[in-house]
Amino acid sequence: MAAPKSSTPLLKDELDIVIPTIRNLDFLEMWRPFFQPYHLIIVQDGDPSKTIKVPDGFDYELYNRNDINKILGPKANCISFKDSACRCFGYMVSKKKYIFTIDDDCFVAKDPTGKEINALEQHIKNLLSPSTPFFFNTLYDPYRDGTDFVRGYPFSLREGVPTAVSHGLWLNIPDYDAPTQLVKPLERNTRFVDAVMTIPKGTLFPMCGMNLAFNRELIGPAMYFGLMGDGQPIGRYDDMWAGWCIKVICDHLGLGVKTGLPYIWHSKASNPFVNLKKEYKGIYWQEELIPFFQSVALPKDCTTVQKCYMELSKQVKAKLGKVDDYFNKLADAMVTWIEAWDELNPSGAAAGAPKVSAK
Amino acid sequence: MRNPPTLLSLAIDSAVINFCRISDLSFVPEHILLELFVRTLKAGKLNEKILKLFIATGKEEILSVIESLNIQHILVPVLPTLIIKDDEVDIVIGALQSDLTSFMEAWRPMFSRFHLIIVKDPDLKEELKVPGGFNLNLYTKSDMDKVVDSSSSTISFSGYSCRYFGYLMSRKKYIISIDDDCIPAKDSKGELIDAVAQHITNLTTPATPFFFNTLYDPFSEGTDFVRGYPFSLRSGVECGLSCGLWLNLADYDAPTQALKPSARNSRYVDAVLTVPARTMLPLSGINIAFNNELVGPTLLPAFRLAKEGKFRWETVEDIWTGMCAKVVCDHLRLGVKSGLPYVWRQERGNAVESLKKEWEGVQLMEEVVPFFQSVRLSEAAVTAEDCIAEIAASVKEQLGRSNPMFARAAENMVEWIKLWKQVRSL
Repeated sequence: MAAPKSSTPLLKDELDIVIPTIRNLDFLEMWRPFFQPYHLIIVQDGDPSKTIKVPDGFDYELYNRNDINKILGPKANCISFKDSACRCFGYMVSKKKYIFTIDDDCFVAKDPTGKEINALEQHIKNLLSPSTPFFFNTLYDPYRDGTDFVRGYPFSLREGVPTAVSHGLWLNIPDYDAPTQLVKPLERNTRFVDAVMTIPKGTLFPMCGMNLAFNRELIGPAMYFGLMGDGQPIGRYDDMWAGWCIKVICDHLGLGVKTGLPYIWHSKASNPFVNLKKEYKGIYWQEELIPFFQSVALPKDCTTVQKCYMELSKQVKAKLGKVDDYFNKLADAMVTWIEAWDELNPSGAAAGAPKVSAK
Repeated sequence: MRNPPTLLSLAIDSAVINFCRISDLSFVPEHILLELFVRTLKAGKLNEKILKLFIATGKEEILSVIESLNIQHILVPVLPTLIIKDDEVDIVIGALQSDLTSFMEAWRPMFSRFHLIIVKDPDLKEELKVPGGFNLNLYTKSDMDKVVDSSSSTISFSGYSCRYFGYLMSRKKYIISIDDDCIPAKDSKGELIDAVAQHITNLTTPATPFFFNTLYDPFSEGTDFVRGYPFSLRSGVECGLSCGLWLNLADYDAPTQALKPSARNSRYVDAVLTVPARTMLPLSGINIAFNNELVGPTLLPAFRLAKEGKFRWETVEDIWTGMCAKVVCDHLRLGVKSGLPYVWRQERGNAVESLKKEWEGVQLMEEVVPFFQSVRLSEAAVTAEDCIAEIAASVKEQLGRSNPMFARAAENMVEWIKLWKQVRSL
C-alpha cells in the first residue's frame, strides 16, 4: 500500500519569479496555471522607453534601466545593460525567501507520459528537500518518491544539507555554446532524464540561468551575474560566472546544489554567429577561470555569503587581474554588488527598499 | 541406449561456440553448412557478422533459408566507439545458486557472443547446472585451492567473493559481472536492454571526471557538452569502471528494505554520467564492468563482515572494494561511470531476517568513509598495483590500529597483489 503522496507547498508568499525581458511576455500565458499565484519581478533590459506588455491577471513589479539607476544610484554600474544578466537586479530587490528565474523563450514541457510539467513545483520540491554533496548516491536524489539511499551510503551522511540551488534543464534547444551550435545546428535534446541529483562537493558545473531556482536567504548575495553586454568584452558567461561563485561558496558553507528535473521547453535557438562573438573571449578566459575556481580556498572566518563573496572578489582581483583588466573591473563590481545588496537588504530590519509599484 | 554424438556433430557444436575465430565458410560442404546454420540459430548466436559469413558463401540453399525465415539486417547506429572484438571481453558470473539455467537462458542473447567465466561459490554443495551452447570456463573450490593456499591465506572466495577468482583468472581486456539473481530489464520503450553492450559502450567512450556536464554523458547519442564546459577538458579520460543500476529490487541495505518492504525501483533514468573525481560512491557489485588492463587488480576480496551472508544486504565487500577502486581511478586519472545499464533484480531473501544478524561490520564502514575521502597516493604510484599497495599500507597504519578487521583487509590487499602478479607470470 503506497504512502499517500505529500503535496508540495505552494510557497506563494515566499517565492518571487524573476524574468528578464526586452520584448513582450506572451510566454506567460502558457505558464499561467502554474505562475498565477506568484508575484513576478520583471527586469526590463534595453530601451527603457519601450513598454513591456504583461498579460492580465499577474501580480508584478517591473523595473527598467531608469528604475535601476534611480534605486542604485552610482552603484547601478554593477548591473549589466543589454544582457539578460540584468536579471540579478531582481534578486536584489526581492523580499522573498525563494527565487525562480526563467527566460522568456522557455515554455511548459511535457514528460514522457504527455503530462505538462509544473517546473516551479519541482524546483520547490528540490529546494525543500536536502542535498547530498559529500557522497554520491547512485540512485540519485534519495529524497524523491520511489527511491532511497543505496547500500553502502554512509548512515552518518543521510540527513543531508540544506539545498541552496535547484538547476533545471531544457528539452528541444539545448544550452550549447556557439561552436557546438555551429557544428550541430539541428541537434535537439529529446532525452528526458527522470532524475534530480546533487552536484558533489568540490566539483564545478556550468550553471544555466534559463531555468533556475534558489534560496535567496541561503545564497542570494552570491548570485551576481557579472558585467556583460553593452560596453563589456564578453557575453553569455553571466550565469556561468555566478554558477562558479555560488558553487565554491556552497561547498565552503556546506550547502547543496541540485541539477536535473524540472525540464522546460526551450524554443528559441539564438544566432550562433552572434553568440560566437559574445562568447569568444569567455572560451579562452574560462581555461584560466576554471583552475582559479577549482583551487579557491576561503578562510574559516568567512561564515556568511557576503564575507565569502568579498573574499572571492579580492582573489579575483589578485589572481585574474593579470589575465585581463576586465577582471579588475569585475572584482570591483562584485564589491559594489554586495554593498548594494546589503543596502537594499539590511539584516533584521523590516524596512524595504524603495519599490516601484505594479503598473 | 542412446547413440553417442558423431564426430561431425561435435565439430559443428564446436564451430558454433568458436564462431569468433571463423572468418570464412566457403570451404564447408552445403549440407554441413545448413546444419551449422540451424544450430547457430538454435543457440541464439546469429548476429550480423556471422550472418554475413553465411551469405558470403553464396550457397543457394543457405540464401533461400535466410530469405524464407525473413532474417533482416539490423540498422545499428554508428556510435563513436572502438570496435570491440568479441575475444576482448570476459563475462564473470559468481554462482551462488546451483541451478543457473533460467539465469543463463535469460541472458543468452547478450552473453552468447562472449566467453564466460563461471565461478562456483565454494560453500555451495550441489552440482552446478549450466545450459549448453556457451563458450565457458567453470572454476570451483578445487581450482581455488590450487592457486590460493587456504591454510596460510586469509583471502576468502566464499559467497559473493567467488567472482574475484574469475577476475584473477581472466586475461581479457574488459570484464563484465552480473549477480546470478538478475535478468535483463526492459527500457522505457519496453525493449530488452543489452546490459553487456551498454557496459562496453561506457568503458570504451571517454569519461569526464573533472567538470560536471549537466546533460550527463556528452558522448551519448543526441547530446553533447553544454555551454560553459571548458574546451580543454572535452576529450575526457579513459573509463576504468562502469557501474550499472537495478530495476525492481534496488540495491538497498537491510534496514532500508526492511522499513519499506514493498519498495521497488520502477524509475528508468535514461542517463550515464561520470562520477566526479574525489567524490566517493557506493560501488555495488551487482551489475558492474571494468577495464581489466587498467584497474584489474583493484577489484579484490579484502573486507569481510564477521557474519557475511549470501544476500547482498548482508555484505559490504563490494563497497570496500569500490572505495579503493574509486581512489585508484581518481589517482590514475581514470573515469568511473554510473547509470545505464539497468538489470532486473529478482526477489530474494527477507530483509527483516537479515536485520537480526550482527551489524558490527556495517558500523565499521562509517569510520572508513573519512579515510577514503582523504587518502592521497604518491606520485610514484603509476599502476593499479602500486596504488593498492599504498592504500593497503595506509589502511594498516591508520585504520588497522582501531580494529583488526581493517588490518586483515590490508593484509588481504597486499596478498592479492602478490597473487595477481604470480598468476600472470605463469
